[in-house]
Amino acid sequence: MTAGRGRAAACVLAAFFLGLSLLAWLKEADRESESERRRLEQFPELSAEAAVSGEFMEAFENYALDQFPWRDAFRSLKAFFVFYVYGQKDNHGIYVEDGYAARMEYPLREEAVCRAAERFSHVCRTYMEDTEVSLYFCVIPDKNCFLAGQGGHLSMDYDAFYQLIREKTGYMQFIDITRLLAPEDYYKTDIHWRQERLVGVAREIAAGMGVRLEAEYEARTLDRPFYGVYYGQSALPLQAERLQYLTNRLLEQCTVYDFQNGKWMAVYDMEKAYGRDPYEMFLSGPLPLLRIENPAAPADKELILFRDSFGSSLAPLLAEGYASVTLVDIRYIHPDLLGRYLQFHDQDVLFLYSVPVLNQGEAMK
Amino acid sequence: MLFSSIPFLYYFLPVTAVLYFVLLGMPSASMDLKNGWLLAASLFFYAWGEPRHVLLMTASILLGYLSGIWMEAVISRAGKDTGGSKARDRQAKWTLVLCILMQLGLLVYFKYADFFIRNLNGLTGSSLPLLRLKLPIGVSFYTFQMLSYLADVYRGEVPAQRSLIRLALYISMFPQLIAGPIVRYSEMAGQLENRTHSLDDFAWGIRRFVLGLSKKVLFANVLGELCEAFKTSGDKAVLFYWIYAAALALHIYFDFSGYSDMAIGLGRIFGFRFPENFDYPYIAGSITGFWRRWHISLGVWFRDYVYIPLGGSRAGRLKGIINILTVWMLTGFWHGAAWNFILWGLFFAVLLILEKTGLLKYPGKGRLLSHVYVIAAVMISFVIFDAADLKEAAACLAGMFGVGELPAVSMECIYYLKSYRVVLLAAAVGATPLCSRLTERMRRSAVGERLLNLLEPAVLAALLLLSTAYLVDGSFNPFLYFRF
Repeated sequence: MTAGRGRAAACVLAAFFLGLSLLAWLKEADRESESERRRLEQFPELSAEAAVSGEFMEAFENYALDQFPWRDAFRSLKAFFVFYVYGQKDNHGIYVEDGYAARMEYPLREEAVCRAAERFSHVCRTYMEDTEVSLYFCVIPDKNCFLAGQGGHLSMDYDAFYQLIREKTGYMQFIDITRLLAPEDYYKTDIHWRQERLVGVAREIAAGMGVRLEAEYEARTLDRPFYGVYYGQSALPLQAERLQYLTNRLLEQCTVYDFQNGKWMAVYDMEKAYGRDPYEMFLSGPLPLLRIENPAAPADKELILFRDSFGSSLAPLLAEGYASVTLVDIRYIHPDLLGRYLQFHDQDVLFLYSVPVLNQGEAMK
Repeated sequence: MLFSSIPFLYYFLPVTAVLYFVLLGMPSASMDLKNGWLLAASLFFYAWGEPRHVLLMTASILLGYLSGIWMEAVISRAGKDTGGSKARDRQAKWTLVLCILMQLGLLVYFKYADFFIRNLNGLTGSSLPLLRLKLPIGVSFYTFQMLSYLADVYRGEVPAQRSLIRLALYISMFPQLIAGPIVRYSEMAGQLENRTHSLDDFAWGIRRFVLGLSKKVLFANVLGELCEAFKTSGDKAVLFYWIYAAALALHIYFDFSGYSDMAIGLGRIFGFRFPENFDYPYIAGSITGFWRRWHISLGVWFRDYVYIPLGGSRAGRLKGIINILTVWMLTGFWHGAAWNFILWGLFFAVLLILEKTGLLKYPGKGRLLSHVYVIAAVMISFVIFDAADLKEAAACLAGMFGVGELPAVSMECIYYLKSYRVVLLAAAVGATPLCSRLTERMRRSAVGERLLNLLEPAVLAALLLLSTAYLVDGSFNPFLYFRF
């Protein structure tokens, strides 16, 4: 190394170290990351106890990572390097195929799936024995199911998965919607499906439960860009999407009761549509217990829908066929508490769960 | 605190370096003041990761400091009182043994107590409770440095250090505190009292540091992810075992040599010259050659402070073999308090003995074959090294050689091979001196030299930014040698 070149390199490197260091020291802390949809770590409180236990240091390290100047740009740089220089097939388990970002759902976690099935069985045993409810079960495939094979990405053995879950839920009538879905029915940057493409799916599910749906909907588009959860996780500059929702006179008349907060609301929460995660506009996002009431229902038929977040965008499309649709998310409410709020007699009861949630069945209470 | 972490790179290091250079620019600031600042920074650095164990290290330093002075006094008094060299030697030797036992006591208590209890329980059927102590980071390294100091004082190679600050800085200096290189006291004594600084040293140091950081972040961490993926895989295959073994060998090399590069670079920035610790070990044509290039400072330490004092190879063939077995068993045991580490050490001992006695001549005949032999042996050794216990090591070796009903390939194995092929290839090339030879060749022509002048700052800056990007992304980032 010649002295001149060495000194030039040293100056450049020292400038980077000092420049970034100064910015890191002086930069005002951001409250949250829009791309990752999470609160960012703030400067930790310093106390003798926290310092001796090492808690302060741990929290500071998280703070330093979260608040680093141009954090998103650095994360994107890393993602670019991973995909386009190292040629790695995924970054943090997320890959992009045909413009669709998807998470590798792999491997099949049999224990988790059995745990989910056991919780369903517990609910049914506890509340539905000696009743006249009709039990249905439906699985929502994830994007990986359609995309993994194309790019040689890892995917669980879906045949084994379906065999296992159907075996464990054999006491329910299975409604298969896999053939109705394709990658285009999902957001490119998000885990979820697109409501505007679910009318056929809703009709199929309803038909499976003996209900005929015929309503037409008007698709409305949010006037803000939608960046899904994989946008932040992949850190790649994926293109923004448009989020659409379906509405009609019937849905506008429907009201929704939120048991947790004891309040009435509309099917679509326009405040959340402009919040951190626009997908939460569908029935106000993750809530344990909701009831959609349809004043224009032709009969007193009721549906109890055990669901995850995919159900939030589908449930409004099922409302046409029922006087009420009660949505239960047993990730947020313990099944043993349901008896305080619900009575099971002769309703249709549908367990509608996506593959990723079933494959992480530990999340069920 | 990890070198490859945002708090170190952009909070700790700039502040420490800037204040050090401010002191350097002050004519009134003595070397002790500069050493004092480095010592304060080093203690803060250690306390950051080990707030409680900093007291243990301080105790070890104080003990070593007093031991050194005591031992020197004993040697000097014994010489005067008896006038006989034998009695003086005996007294001095016992003093050294006592001092060493005190230092080793701490290491044994924190690192090996549970190993001995577990084995005692296994042998006698007793059920003594395990202590389950948290291993103080770097304890193996700083204990060995202290032993080096005491041995050097005993041998009369250096006088006992009267300045507590200098001795404390020698032991706790943050660039090499946690994972070496293990620097002999006799090499450092002069530098602690008087060392020079220059812009060229700074330039060399920062360049070396960034290269080490890149080796750690862009190679070791990424290969570490592959090793983790293998370990958690439920879809193993023979090929997957070999991919894991290759990735592991490269991961360990880049992790440790990256750390050593960072340590050597940081040392140079602050005016210290640490010995080299790695010299492209994977190009060695024999295991003897490999160990001359791998963790050189540890090899030198064991040679100077264990092997030679035991008599080395001069004490006869059988004694020589026993000495090799002893040294390598201790080397393995130094790396970890488990039987697989001892087996790892003995595995190398056997190969070294076979090479030394001429029984293993065949691999040396062909150049390619000798490299294949070294790389295969090292891969197998690191599989033993990385296992949680002997059972896991045996299972992994069985997997590599297709014992059982393992498929040759699996879906997951193919996926990871495709996903990591560029990294594996780049790392394999990076583990050879090819890049440095290319640079040398370019330097010989005027055009090449000009090109290097332009490229080097840009490449180093890009590596720094990229490494920062990986760290900001919160990727996989443990330091393997922090276990020791």
